[in-house]
Amino acid sequence: MPIKTPNQCMTAQDARALLADGLSCQVESNLPAKFQVGILVKAKVLHPKTYTRLPRYVRGKVGEIFKDYGVYVFPDTMGQRLSTKPQHVYSVRFAAQELWGMDASPKDSVYIDLFDDHLESP
Amino acid sequence: MNGPHDLGGMHGMGPIPIEEDEPVFHSEWEAKVFAMSFATFINYFPVDETRHASERMPPGEYLSSSYYERWLYALELLLAEHNLLTPDEIESRIAELT
Repeated sequence: MPIKTPNQCMTAQDARALLADGLSCQVESNLPAKFQVGILVKAKVLHPKTYTRLPRYVRGKVGEIFKDYGVYVFPDTMGQRLSTKPQHVYSVRFAAQELWGMDASPKDSVYIDLFDDHLESP
Repeated sequence: MNGPHDLGGMHGMGPIPIEEDEPVFHSEWEAKVFAMSFATFINYFPVDETRHASERMPPGEYLSSSYYERWLYALELLLAEHNLLTPDEIESRIAELT
């Protein structure tokens, strides 16, 4: 369990600040993006028994990189306290028909925030 | 994990109730669960570890629990797993207070 916590109660002042401002998990980094806006990507088919932000219904589906948010700590490894493993997070657009079949509306899409480690080239 | 939290595409769950003027908390115990959990954020448990803990609730229980019942489950689970409190200590404190 490489990520250790101090296990000390936060002060009332810290608690107020955290409530007011929230906490950013963004990381200052020059790490290059693996995928560029506009290209097609496939969500990996993964079934980890541990924490993941990759929903079942997009696994194996092809979407388009809509936006690159920058570099953030990786929740899938943070959930196990393994490492922060910073990487790019993208808004990925999946057409409703790609996810739910031809009965779905051709106009609808689902936008899901996914990390480099969730994606591969189709 | 392929747990009960990952509901996308499931049928038969019914509509999501939208409350007018929804209060932040529906009862006082919810505010207390929030406060206790909030006090552990970052300094005790990374938030993703807390989210994962609530997903590890047994699926039947998860689906029939309210939002803050899941928070309480996650808090008690992590306090026990990190040897900060034992389930016995929690139970005996509940007995003292009731």
